[in-house]
Amino acid sequence: MLKRKHLALGMTAILSISALVGCSDSKDESNKGDTIELKVMLTPQWKGVIDAAEEGADYDSFFKYAAEQFEAEHKNVDISVEVVAGDQRDELLNVNLNGGTPPDVFFESVFAMGDYAHRGALVPLNDIIDDEAKADIEQGYWDSVTFGDDIYFYPFSHNPGTFTYNADMFKAAGLDQYIGEENEIKTWTMEEYEEILKTLKEKLPSTDYSNANAMGMYALNNQGDTWNLAYLRMFGNEFFDEEGNIILDDASGVKAAEWMNNVYQSGYTNPGAESVSSNDVNALFQNQQLAISFTNPILFNNAKADMEAGKMAKFDMRLANIPSESGDPLTFTYVTGAAVFDTKDEERIEMSKEFVKFVSTDEELIKASKNGIPVRTSVSELYKSENPLFAAYAQNSQYIFNFTGNVPGYSQLRQVLYPELQAMFTEQLTPEEAVKNYQEKGNQVINDAKEDSVIFNK
Amino acid sequence: MKLKDTMRENISGYIFIAPQIILFLVFLVYPIFEGIRLSLFKINYQSETFIGLANYGKLFADPIFVKSIINTLIFVVFIVALTVLFAMFVASAIFDKNAKYVSIIRGAYYIPVMVSMVVMSMIWSFLLNPANGLIPFLARKMEMSVNFLGDTNWVLPVIIFVTFATNVGQAIILYIASMIGVPKELFEAAEVDGASRIKVIFKIILPMVKPTTIYIIIMNIIAVLKIFVVIQLLTGGGPNNASTTMMYYLYNNAFKYNQLGIASAVGVIMFIITLLLSVPQLRAMLKKD
Repeated sequence: MLKRKHLALGMTAILSISALVGCSDSKDESNKGDTIELKVMLTPQWKGVIDAAEEGADYDSFFKYAAEQFEAEHKNVDISVEVVAGDQRDELLNVNLNGGTPPDVFFESVFAMGDYAHRGALVPLNDIIDDEAKADIEQGYWDSVTFGDDIYFYPFSHNPGTFTYNADMFKAAGLDQYIGEENEIKTWTMEEYEEILKTLKEKLPSTDYSNANAMGMYALNNQGDTWNLAYLRMFGNEFFDEEGNIILDDASGVKAAEWMNNVYQSGYTNPGAESVSSNDVNALFQNQQLAISFTNPILFNNAKADMEAGKMAKFDMRLANIPSESGDPLTFTYVTGAAVFDTKDEERIEMSKEFVKFVSTDEELIKASKNGIPVRTSVSELYKSENPLFAAYAQNSQYIFNFTGNVPGYSQLRQVLYPELQAMFTEQLTPEEAVKNYQEKGNQVINDAKEDSVIFNK
Repeated sequence: MKLKDTMRENISGYIFIAPQIILFLVFLVYPIFEGIRLSLFKINYQSETFIGLANYGKLFADPIFVKSIINTLIFVVFIVALTVLFAMFVASAIFDKNAKYVSIIRGAYYIPVMVSMVVMSMIWSFLLNPANGLIPFLARKMEMSVNFLGDTNWVLPVIIFVTFATNVGQAIILYIASMIGVPKELFEAAEVDGASRIKVIFKIILPMVKPTTIYIIIMNIIAVLKIFVVIQLLTGGGPNNASTTMMYYLYNNAFKYNQLGIASAVGVIMFIITLLLSVPQLRAMLKKD
């Protein structure tokens, strides 16, 4: 009896101890033995290693291939690659950062990751960038990845944002004169654009294109908000002043908001913009239920590849600029690149930097930047005959505006815009009130973030 | 000496409950105290700064937070009331019928409970999407223009309905089980006295299943206070924060805005509200039993 009691007590004690052991710190597990385990994360970019037409091409193909190559040279390194949805990025990173387990490398558009540099979560990459890279990549791209005095992202490619339009739908509505060349980024004036929207609404044959609308409009969340930011500049608003404060609350800003609201209320866009996401709009365009939508080179190339692979119906898809009152196109670009997180483990940080350098400089791998627009002149030269649009994007580059203003707190700032647009589209607020609210709340976010920025307070 | 003896006598009991107590302390009590502590700090990646009750002040000055409290209370009142009334109605109508029939009804209502809330929300999202959803499409065909997810008048009723429809099966199962357990003599006596079905329900069944009612109310209040998935997947808190709830507000601050101090303060407020709502009901239940 006594023996059995002792056995039961012993088992209970073991259970208690194992419960505690289960909670013990496992921070250093990844570096047990000689293997250095690195976690690489990315949001969906291009499919395939170099080309979306490769068999089995997927969003992680490039980094998996790069990891294999790198591991072959560094036997003690084990790299895992994970693709995370763009709209889940901040949630995932914040959880990992607060839990002390950030990924080692993150490949993403710089605009979406700048806050992590301000928060002190990234390590500078100055020491892995050599003169050859500096000479091959134009200064403008280095500027966009430099925060304070340091470079935090290794620029890889960039993705200029434009419109894409369904030329077949234009023809069906009798808008042939507004269709650009196949390899042109067509620029329309505001008057022409409004005429296009009106004609599409009135003359697009519903027999061929049932339930279709002229233009995509969305404000469910912050995804794809850069196009909405571009619309707000249509009438000449500069958006940020020199101190990085929002200055949308003037006549040009209000006029732009009124324009957005008018095209929506006039039925030129898909219905329910307040509860439609950019993903929905993209799907509607691909399903030929929208004639004009947003795009960037990666989205555009992926759609073309899907058409070739028979995954979506073929139609004549072309590019156009976002128009403005001045007549100059409104264009912006997302510079993409890899950043290294401060994992507090020197060995991992050094190896992560090595990996980023490998991905960003290896002659074979950098060719993948052709899926967007290469930041390297050498790669652009190599592929310019293969991709005539490179010249069109280069022509556009003179009109590029910096949509983030390099302000701290940009991630949170993005959460402020769409609720105001929702209020405007649902007529709870006038365009003027929506713009005023956005400016007030946005500037509050920027000022709070300035106080916490390690770069501002250096 | 006596205390020592008592301790020695009970030591094995303490050791037996130790695993549960340790898990309870580590995974429930510690997070509560840590949440309270964090709510008094301004936290960024590099440092923590004590700011007293400033996070709470900031919260109550934010109209979106106030709206989130109101929305949460609306959800609690309507979803709990609908769930209890509907479950009571269905259970009292069928509990004494043929066993196979009861099983079919029970199964039909319980299927949505077994399906993940994520899946249910996505299905409703497909149905209600204003651009390509089935319901708005049919509405347009009938020349009606309504966006159930984008209209501030419709968005709360839609969320209430979706949550209620998904969760009501649980309450029905509990009520049927409880009603089947009511002593048959009471029904026989009522039959002898010539009591109508309505009288039987109100005078016998409902008083007899009161503990179940209290349990369902408490559990549903706690569950609805934490309503999140359906908001995240169906409306994203919109339009213009019209469907934001406290849990969604907490989530946004913790994971999107990285305002851990503010998020912890919301957590503490939710904890206090839950506690205040639960204690009187628990006391009533314990007193009766």
